[in-house]
Amino acid sequence: MSEAVREAVARLLPRVEQPSRYVDCEWNAVDARAARASYRAAIAYPDVYDVGMANQAIQILYAALNAVDGVSCERVFVPWKDMADALRDAGVPLYALESHDPVREFDMVGITLPHELAYTNVLELLDLAGIPIRAADRGESDPLVVGGGPCAYNPEPVAAFFDAVLVGDGEEAVVEIVETHRRCKEAGLTRSETLAELARVRGVYVPALGARRVVKRTISDLGAFTSPTCPVVPYTDVVHDRVAIEVLRGCARGCRFCQAGMIYRPVRERSADDIIRDAMTALRCTGYDEVSLTSLSTADHSAFVEVLRRLGRRLSGTDVSISVPSLRADALTPDVARLLGDVKRTGLTLAPEAGTQRLRDVINKNVTEEGLLDTVARAFASGWRRVKLYFMIGLPTETDEDVVGIAELVERVLLAARDVVPPNERGSVRVAVSVSTFVPKPHTPFQWEAQPPLAEVRRRQELLRQRMPKKGVELSYHDAETSFVEAVLARGGREVADAIEEAWRRGARFDAWTQEFSLERWRLAFETAGVDASSIANRPRDPFEPLPWSHISSGVSEAFLRAERSRAYARQTTPDCTFEGCTGCGVCGALGVSNVVAGGVRV
Amino acid sequence: MSEARFRLRVTYQKVGPLRFLSHLETARACERAVRRAGLPYAVTRGFNPHMRIAFGPALPVGTAGLGEMYDVWLSDFVPPDDVLERLSSVTREELRTVACRYVELKAPSLAAAAEVAHYEVMVSGPPGVARTLAEGLGTLSKSGTLTVEHKGKQKVFELANALLKEPVAREVDGGAVVEIATRMSERGSLRPDALVRAALGPALEAVASVSVTRTRLAARAADGTEEAL
Repeated sequence: MSEAVREAVARLLPRVEQPSRYVDCEWNAVDARAARASYRAAIAYPDVYDVGMANQAIQILYAALNAVDGVSCERVFVPWKDMADALRDAGVPLYALESHDPVREFDMVGITLPHELAYTNVLELLDLAGIPIRAADRGESDPLVVGGGPCAYNPEPVAAFFDAVLVGDGEEAVVEIVETHRRCKEAGLTRSETLAELARVRGVYVPALGARRVVKRTISDLGAFTSPTCPVVPYTDVVHDRVAIEVLRGCARGCRFCQAGMIYRPVRERSADDIIRDAMTALRCTGYDEVSLTSLSTADHSAFVEVLRRLGRRLSGTDVSISVPSLRADALTPDVARLLGDVKRTGLTLAPEAGTQRLRDVINKNVTEEGLLDTVARAFASGWRRVKLYFMIGLPTETDEDVVGIAELVERVLLAARDVVPPNERGSVRVAVSVSTFVPKPHTPFQWEAQPPLAEVRRRQELLRQRMPKKGVELSYHDAETSFVEAVLARGGREVADAIEEAWRRGARFDAWTQEFSLERWRLAFETAGVDASSIANRPRDPFEPLPWSHISSGVSEAFLRAERSRAYARQTTPDCTFEGCTGCGVCGALGVSNVVAGGVRV
Repeated sequence: MSEARFRLRVTYQKVGPLRFLSHLETARACERAVRRAGLPYAVTRGFNPHMRIAFGPALPVGTAGLGEMYDVWLSDFVPPDDVLERLSSVTREELRTVACRYVELKAPSLAAAAEVAHYEVMVSGPPGVARTLAEGLGTLSKSGTLTVEHKGKQKVFELANALLKEPVAREVDGGAVVEIATRMSERGSLRPDALVRAALGPALEAVASVSVTRTRLAARAADGTEEAL
């Protein structure tokens, strides 16, 4: 079969954009012919190859599953529209990259759910593969379709499409899922008997068995798993084309709008020795010219400066650079600025999120204006000429004063930057301002809050546009319409599945690509499916009403989330528990884990 | 440490599914192979240091190559056989290194020196396609020119100039193979598939596929004969 698919695909490739997305043969990819095992898993990312290959979960799970005896794992991505249409026209089923075997012949298809706007692509992927999109319609010969990733924390909107959903860290759980499934197959169990067995794996939610309580899986020590040291090296120019070393997982800063800051607790740092070892091994094994130290907030690592210094020393005199994708405003100490400047001057991105101290206190973003301006001055004094600032509009309690405050803060950032730059270079100072819309996310202290209606978001955006300084500022908005749909898909329940299917049937795919997104299509889909979208996105919830995701536990207690919500309204901040005492979120007790701080002390 | 003291010329193939890589993608893949092989490559000075490497003429996406080339500058001498072995152990078969040798530091660039390209065009089609092709090529040759449309622009090639010698079509199992040798110039060179499609004319309808392989690149000596690069 695979040779027939290979030949059919080769005939289509001359006619599509970026054919390298579809060819496989990458360095470090498994040789499917040599590795064909009795149990075959496919790991899928619901977007095009160049986006999916940048996802670290894919590389982690790929390595983990291929390390299991008798199991081979291949990759699957969603073909871009031209290729998808060509495959359909030619009657070629979606294939796994390595073997070119049809995805529907695999035992399991694992699909990561990175964000809500990827939901229509999940259906596109299943349909191209010829797998029934609804779990209820799948038969004994269809693969087991398992979801995972950040969106698993409210699986209900996509529950109908999955046989099982893993909540939490995948390193150990994915292996247990595969081993359980393999055992069930060997024992000749039926699909429904298999699902009942899978539901016994910790962290696994089986929608067909009803809304049963599931507590997330957590690995207690990141050091027990190396960062993928021989990741697959794409030919295509992918989004983050470099070695990525996950230096820590979790973040305890406690920003109240941030889902990642709640669901990935506790903080688990990789030791400096392990980071250096994994980075050097991965560079040798891939031939990349860049290594990125990734995490939710890399500068929070207790040995951050040590890691930068040691890695910088190892790579000095080479053409290999180090990058740090997100820097906390107060992390750019003179030391760090010098170390980063020595290696490669990548973009500097800071996220004050709100324009006034009042609102920053409400959202528990522990950034002060003074600290931000100091950082900017330091950065521009050490050679940076551009800084990117992230803000959010529509946060709970936001007033026009807060919106205007963003413009005023940007003005002061510009002044601070120009102040330290030689007069002849002042014209080159740039501040990029990126403004997104607040999306209330499950499992956060703001999960009960309303997203302001679209018209109101647009009014605030316009207000900000008018007040924003023009010279030296590049202002961009994250599309408010997509944020509205994101809010519906994030907070909805099982009823939303019909709307997702309807939107996909009306042609929705690649919704995360601005030019592909159509609000009109989604409005019609919500209407046809009888989903009151606005009451899901724009209605505040009572802090004691049951929520569609109440049965899924991230380990953070609902009482803590409620307390944090009250503290937000009282403008009280909550410290980071890796610096100060326990704040009582409940994760460590519920999961039997604790923060792992590599350097002992955090500063 | 990274002074450019030696200039190594690497010949590699680009075949199978990897014929669909773009020139940029192929170049990046070769650079990564050089790093994986741990070769002592020279690095440019400056704020943003990078590997000193230069590539031969680009292959169009979809065209395979059996003798593609790049030059990489090394700071230390590594015996060519060692280089070959080290590169081979870190590349996929579809991008395998087939030869390497040292060239003069001052030798002209590959892009400038490669003036001749040899191609094999495989035409999968019904029996008799070889004869149709041979006739078509003969007619084109008599007319002396070929007009090719590319991205909405028309370009006229003088065949006597664009081709090094008369193309030869021979029958093989499942169709025909045409051997074509083109002269490359800065004003562009004739794409062999364009020549074959034109020669086929209406018979193209019955053809299942036209696949092109660049078999080798060469330079030209002062007397007009070919010279290895």
